[in-house]
Amino acid sequence: MFDLTIRKRQETLGWTTVLIYSGAVVLSLLFSAAMLLFQGNSPVEGLSLLLEGAFGSTYAIEDCLIKAIPIYLCSLGVAIAFRLQIWNIGAEGQFALGAIGATWVAISFPGLPSWVMIPSMMVSAFIFGGLWGVIPAILKLKMKANEIIVTLMLNYIAILILDYLVYGPWKSPDSFGFPMTQEFSAGAIIGKIGESNLNWGILICLLSGLVIYVFFRYTLMGYELKASGENVRAARYARFPYERLVIISMLLSGAFAGWAGFVEASATLNRLQPTIMVGYGYTAIVVAWLARLNPLYIGISSFLLAGLRVGAENLQLELQVPAAFGEIMEGMILLTILAGTFFVNYRFSRRPRP
Amino acid sequence: MRKVLVLLVLSLLIAGVSVQAAEKKMKVGFVYVSPVGDAGWSYAHDVARQAIEALPNVEVKYLEAVNEGADSERVFLNMARKKYDLVFGTSFGYMDPMLKTAKKFPNTVFMHCSGYKSSENMGNYFGRMYQARYLSGMVAGSMTKSNVLGYVAAFPIPEVIRGINAFTLGVQAVNPDAEVRVVWTKTWYDPAKEKEGAKSLLDVGADVIAQHQDSPGPQEAAQERGVYSIGYNTDMSQFAPKAHLVAPVWNWTPYYMEVFNSVKDGTWKTGSTWNGLAEGVVDLSPMGDMVPADVKTTVLARRDEIKKGDYVVFTGPVKDQAGTVRIADGTVPADGELLGMDWFVKGVIGTTE
Amino acid sequence: MTPDILIPLLAATVQSGTPILFATLGAIFCEKSGVLNLGVEGIMAVGALAAFSVSFATGSIWLGFLAGGLAGVLTGGIHGLVCLGFLGNQVVSGLALTILGVGVANYLGTPLIGLTAPGFVPVDVPLLSKLPFVGPVFFQHDPLVYISYLVPIGMWFFFRNTRAGLRLRSAGENPDAALAAGINSSNYRWIGVLCGGFFMGLGGAYLSLAYTHMWANHLTAGRGWIAVALVIFAFWNPLRAVAGAYLFGGVMAFQFRLQASGTHIPSSFLLMLPYVLTVSVLVFSSWKGGSSATPQALGVNIEPAD
Repeated sequence: MFDLTIRKRQETLGWTTVLIYSGAVVLSLLFSAAMLLFQGNSPVEGLSLLLEGAFGSTYAIEDCLIKAIPIYLCSLGVAIAFRLQIWNIGAEGQFALGAIGATWVAISFPGLPSWVMIPSMMVSAFIFGGLWGVIPAILKLKMKANEIIVTLMLNYIAILILDYLVYGPWKSPDSFGFPMTQEFSAGAIIGKIGESNLNWGILICLLSGLVIYVFFRYTLMGYELKASGENVRAARYARFPYERLVIISMLLSGAFAGWAGFVEASATLNRLQPTIMVGYGYTAIVVAWLARLNPLYIGISSFLLAGLRVGAENLQLELQVPAAFGEIMEGMILLTILAGTFFVNYRFSRRPRP
Repeated sequence: MRKVLVLLVLSLLIAGVSVQAAEKKMKVGFVYVSPVGDAGWSYAHDVARQAIEALPNVEVKYLEAVNEGADSERVFLNMARKKYDLVFGTSFGYMDPMLKTAKKFPNTVFMHCSGYKSSENMGNYFGRMYQARYLSGMVAGSMTKSNVLGYVAAFPIPEVIRGINAFTLGVQAVNPDAEVRVVWTKTWYDPAKEKEGAKSLLDVGADVIAQHQDSPGPQEAAQERGVYSIGYNTDMSQFAPKAHLVAPVWNWTPYYMEVFNSVKDGTWKTGSTWNGLAEGVVDLSPMGDMVPADVKTTVLARRDEIKKGDYVVFTGPVKDQAGTVRIADGTVPADGELLGMDWFVKGVIGTTE
Repeated sequence: MTPDILIPLLAATVQSGTPILFATLGAIFCEKSGVLNLGVEGIMAVGALAAFSVSFATGSIWLGFLAGGLAGVLTGGIHGLVCLGFLGNQVVSGLALTILGVGVANYLGTPLIGLTAPGFVPVDVPLLSKLPFVGPVFFQHDPLVYISYLVPIGMWFFFRNTRAGLRLRSAGENPDAALAAGINSSNYRWIGVLCGGFFMGLGGAYLSLAYTHMWANHLTAGRGWIAVALVIFAFWNPLRAVAGAYLFGGVMAFQFRLQASGTHIPSSFLLMLPYVLTVSVLVFSSWKGGSSATPQALGVNIEPAD
């Protein structure tokens, strides 16, 4: 008698959105619980280990925050490019270049005091990371080269440049031949906050997030960027400076990823070595999208994703579940949330059959 | 009567407490840099872990695929906070994170594999794999007809370079004209890439393929071409039954048991331990049937000499690729020199970058 | 470059490029219908595992190969369900599928590590393999390579000359117009995703059944991402995909041989060659006007009619 059709929602849902997303997460956790049961583990124990590992103590929360810092900065960068519908898959390579830039300052001028060193490293990371973002932008504008493939290839090239440097000219004489730079001098290391393990890199996150929020909300260029992303042709018609916006957005995108590399090299590793690359650049894309490209939500999103990973590690340790289990959980959560967005954006309505 | 009762209760209590103390469960943790299923490096450590797990009164846990860097520091901190007694970290890059954690948790013993830093409660250890590699080189050198041997290697770090050098010296001991060609794959584990690397060596005339890689990819390449191969980490002959001559293998079980027992007894002391053939940490797998009996005899005889200390691998004179003498005639390099080896011996064709 | 060196190099190129070629062709088929698919790596991983385990269990290499393709269809189907059924964002769905696919393959595949299963071995094509130069380069490989010669031609023909192919392309260029013309674009997109997944799965199957005869964690090692890039490089043209796959595989094989010949160039730079070359050729070709080949509706979901 009635046909069920799908219509796009006209109204935004607010709190119901949160409900739907939470429902999606719960669904995927149920699936993971089923997998645990299948292996002979108690799903309840498993899930409580997951939560306990992620949020169950101050140490855990600290660990999540520490892990979230580079993810946040990369995501912020990715979000800027994505707003303009520039598909920057290159955060990984931009992260590497930023780390290289910061390291170059640290090992070339080891004697500098930290109030000179840290800002210089930041500037260097900004330039190097930004450069790695601008290259695909220019190639896109001048040669019409698709940015997905250019940024992807540049990732591999960046990692190999890093390899060359740490295996070759930057290899520390103290490292017994292992590929790593010398340890950074005290002035080049971002310190920890008080007695905790958390480092001051979180301040960079807060400030960057604030700046970007203000940029998109209150500046003309921010508005132009958002509008150009939504409709390139209309934007061009309105004489928005599209080319300039592409360059600036990719510059910032690469620069923020570069800062993430700087924080990791300085605060976490205190040197540059190939194992600085752990895939934050790719994680960032997921986080940025989940957070709808909004700086505040990116903060929440990166914290939660870091929590998932830290918690999954605890689960692996206590129940001796293989490492791949965490990846499966992550993939499931993403897919269910994606499916869940359907219910946020569309609704079923009845229409009488003609 | 009451006195007897009190005494009885007291003695029961004391017995109970001492039984508890004697039965204190040891908590041991293992941290691997790659999945156990890599059938190579991590797998070899895991075999020893399982041996410890089989012991009574011990709780053994492991984490695999833990990235060096921030992730590993968190893992070590967590294990220490959970009051683990003994933690093994089996990758070079775990060194600094372990050291930092060891400082904060003096009651946990940390054992770091393949590094060079130690502290009061952190020891480091490694195995003289180069001794076994030397022997495998002898086998390979005896079997090559083209006098070109290929070596598929992962990363130009000292342990790999040292292994290549020892292998080459072993080859030259039986076959002075042979050369060893090296390609770098820049990956510990990518079967297809490693196989491609092996094929490129076969194409320049190599007829024995050796590897410092964790997958049996190169073994397959050798088998397909009908030539010989040398495995690594574990006996890889099931992947290339006609090609696999021998493999230098790890055997961590005796050493890990020793460490475990010393921690349990309270007799553990820190230090740098570099055990080799003599202690059983490294060894040769059984040689294949295609290896002639006289070669087997020679190699095994040399193995015994190394075990007894009558023969030392890397005894000079040893020249580098440019012809300069790096190890003087009759001298044996100090461990430090070996640990930081970053040059190739004469007879190796390849770069160290 | 003597034939002595050139012939083995080119032969290695063909073999090295084949898994990437299968995967790229699958991605092209999918994207031509308008569905962006960044999940190639995950689909390849599942395909590789399925192929190996079926070959191990049944002893039949062809069943294994087919199983790899079917596993690709099922995994691709998840992407289809999320994007076509639930109208989810295609970029993120692909990424999520990569994470899930690789995770599932590693998780389920652990018991199979260290085991061997029957695989494909080289078979000379009668007559053709005896031809000088061309023979050893193209016709002395395993049968799957020969299949990979036919698929691009078939696909090219399909898209150019068949009604179904044209309709599939219209779903990727302008689904609304197609709908107006009575073509169910959504159905064609499903065909694109599922058939695309089939070929991606075959690419994975090639890795575990022919290129090597084993399964191990991370067997695909990023080849799926190369395929994603090569789709763009090929301007979504199956024939050009052959050039891309062989270029990439060839340069990778070439840099190994350069190393083996004793060059002093640092290996990091040599390993960069395939990526640098791919980008350079792409940039040059885009500049010359090839980039208009992008399916116009790629990545854009078909909104339900109001």
